[in-house]
Amino acid sequence: MTEKHTPPRDDIRKPAAFRLDDSKVRLTDDVELQPDAEEALIAVLEEDIERPKLPAATETRKRGIGFGKWIGIGLGGLVSLAFGLAVDALIRDLFARTDWLGWFGIGLAALAALGLLGLLLREFLGLLRIGKIDHLRDALEKAAEEDDAKAARHHLKELIGLYQDRPETARGRKLLGSHMREVIDGRDLVMLAERDLIAPLDQEARQIVMNSAKRVSLVTAVSPRALVDLLMVLFENMRVIRKLSALYGGRPGTLGFLRLTKHVVTHLALTGGMAAGDSLASEVLGHGLAARLSARLGEGVINGLLTARIGIAAIAVCRPAPFIASSGPKTTEFMGELIKITDKNNKDG
Amino acid sequence: MNPFHTLKEEARLTLANLTDTASDLAVPSLRLGVTGLARSGKTVFLTALVHNLVHGGRLPVFDAAASGRLARATLQPQPDDAVPRFDYESHVAALVNDRIWPQSTRQVSELRLTLEFESASYLARTFGRGKLHLDLIDYPGEWLLDLPLLSKSYAEFSAEALRLARATSRAKIAGEWLAMIAEVDPNAPETETDALKLSDAFKRYLAACREDTHALSMLPPGRFLMPGDLEGSPALTFAPLDIPADAAQARSGTLRAMMERRFEAYKTHVIRPFFRDHFARLDRQIVLVDVLHALNAGPHAISDLEAALGEVLKAFRPGRRSWLASILARRIDRILFAATKADHLHREDHDRLEAILERLVARGIEHARFKGAEVDVIAMAAVRATREAMVKQGRQELPAIVGTPLPGETAGGERYDGNTEIALFPGDLPEDPESVFQASESSSQLKPESISEARDKELQYLRFRPPKLDTTAEGLTLSLPHIRLDRALEFLFGDRLA
Repeated sequence: MTEKHTPPRDDIRKPAAFRLDDSKVRLTDDVELQPDAEEALIAVLEEDIERPKLPAATETRKRGIGFGKWIGIGLGGLVSLAFGLAVDALIRDLFARTDWLGWFGIGLAALAALGLLGLLLREFLGLLRIGKIDHLRDALEKAAEEDDAKAARHHLKELIGLYQDRPETARGRKLLGSHMREVIDGRDLVMLAERDLIAPLDQEARQIVMNSAKRVSLVTAVSPRALVDLLMVLFENMRVIRKLSALYGGRPGTLGFLRLTKHVVTHLALTGGMAAGDSLASEVLGHGLAARLSARLGEGVINGLLTARIGIAAIAVCRPAPFIASSGPKTTEFMGELIKITDKNNKDG
Repeated sequence: MNPFHTLKEEARLTLANLTDTASDLAVPSLRLGVTGLARSGKTVFLTALVHNLVHGGRLPVFDAAASGRLARATLQPQPDDAVPRFDYESHVAALVNDRIWPQSTRQVSELRLTLEFESASYLARTFGRGKLHLDLIDYPGEWLLDLPLLSKSYAEFSAEALRLARATSRAKIAGEWLAMIAEVDPNAPETETDALKLSDAFKRYLAACREDTHALSMLPPGRFLMPGDLEGSPALTFAPLDIPADAAQARSGTLRAMMERRFEAYKTHVIRPFFRDHFARLDRQIVLVDVLHALNAGPHAISDLEAALGEVLKAFRPGRRSWLASILARRIDRILFAATKADHLHREDHDRLEAILERLVARGIEHARFKGAEVDVIAMAAVRATREAMVKQGRQELPAIVGTPLPGETAGGERYDGNTEIALFPGDLPEDPESVFQASESSSQLKPESISEARDKELQYLRFRPPKLDTTAEGLTLSLPHIRLDRALEFLFGDRLA
């Protein structure tokens, strides 16, 4: 204890007053202000402040080396070598035949290589973006939990950067920017970001999920074959995940999409138990009611709900901010609407 | 207080509450108590609150206003006819036009603000009134220190006052009065001149304690410093006497008997009506504490502040709000402790200021939580008088604040005229709130002056003038800037507008 309040001599900063025309004084009201070249960065000063840290999140498990990965790398390498050899042989053959054909082949190969490179780059960037969103969500959640204004400010700046090229978020970004210029606590700042910047996106996300769920339940209700439903459900769910990710700023490529899907499935598995508690009863009830009208109808509602639930999981995975000010959408919200639409369809048909 | 009195008081309170509940059926009302010792910023807080709500100020964290559900806030004629109105208009004029802090509170005053809002929940929107009367009550902080006197006898009060006056930190200030007491015989026949003389000396001593250099807070009875309309009446003309602990009952006709009678009169005619009419009928409470002022004056002021706050908080009636119970007795179900004048610090130190306040009112917090009330602690500035800046000095970057000091304030040997803007680095608050108190214990043997000098070098806060308000292109004055006022409002009555 005693060490804490008797810091080393040169650490004590004495009170001092300065005239404003002093060149040393720099106003920092505007967070966007860049420091001048001769001025020290503010952040450097603040690094060494010790903060009570919460134990690291338990879910970030350590990644060991998987043998499956070794097999994958080895086989993949061999296949690409074989492919390279085949291309090489092909081009040699082409040269052997006529020169221009050979050059043409090289051109085509280069084009393919370029395309591949571009594709890889895009996939890589997509993965990076998704990783960044994940990281942002965790960081904001932590900042809100610890009520750490500095961390919140830092990560909210990143969040604003994420939506920089999205004109529809201009109003939210501007609002949030002006909030950040004021003295507001960390937790409150994250909540404000959620309300002003993310809430309109949430609204749209809800609409996307709702539309997709409606489509699925409709198609299931009228489709002649089970296989059609199955394909439809699969297709719609993939579309929802991709759309939501794009909405929240993810723009995933194929790999990113696969990763997202994996996350969504994990999320579903993790929250499935909890969600069952709050909505299983109503689902079964709703199903029972609908099923009494017609078996197909009930199936439609069930499929629609499944889509809605996957959509909700996808929202939780794609959203760059944690749910703090609001709770995320619930399956029950989609329930009523779904029954209504299938019911109406039934009457029409 | 004897049991019969307690019973009578409770009955009167219950009756008053019943009437309140009946009138609440029409439009619900919420009585918000704004409490704090002298100069903690009650008037400024109320003025800023009303100004921001009426003019739609920037309140991002106050949900009802930020989401646009708060349609209108208007000032209404206040319900209690016998209480003066809070002079909002002239306070605002002082703040905005003249850029001076409003006059401090001299007597109780009240203001009713009616909020028209749209509830976010369907039920409340359909069946609720969409209206809430917010009754704001302002009174001098000194009067609060009277509340603990209700349970004390004159002998106890005297012993307490003498013990305080003889403590090392006060002995010098109280010298004149103590000398006078030593000469007076409590059992001498009563004379009005003696009573007047003693009482005047006592008042002078209390007033001296409150000066900036000492900044002591624990100074009952409160009306001696802030007499209100009873100035000069016998109820305010008494003083503690040196009575031995084992003394017999006072004989009638003696000075001591007269003082005792007047002390009782003070309790009946001053404290009890105040407690009954204002203090015991609150729903929400904000306690403003000027921690910086006490820090400025040194550790003695801090421990004195802690003692005073401890006494004040005992008078609260916190508790969980329940429908049935709230008809009969009002309980304070939310208490907010706010360290005011947070704009005198850079935002980096706000957390530490909160920690110090939390330590100061720890007992009160515990009591309120135990009773089921919600408690929060924030660092706040109802009117933000400064901006922030970084100052480079040598190898260090100092987080400083920029503002115009009040005329007459001095720092570093310079006196300010009230027009120059300066950047001030006030010193760092200790990271460990405990150290503020430990300093007071370890250095209590030293002379008070040397301590406050040593402190002065580590921390110094100046008082700044109210901010200059910007005007928009259309010539509209923008609302008063603040720090965390919105958060305070959200905590205090955000749930009633949900």
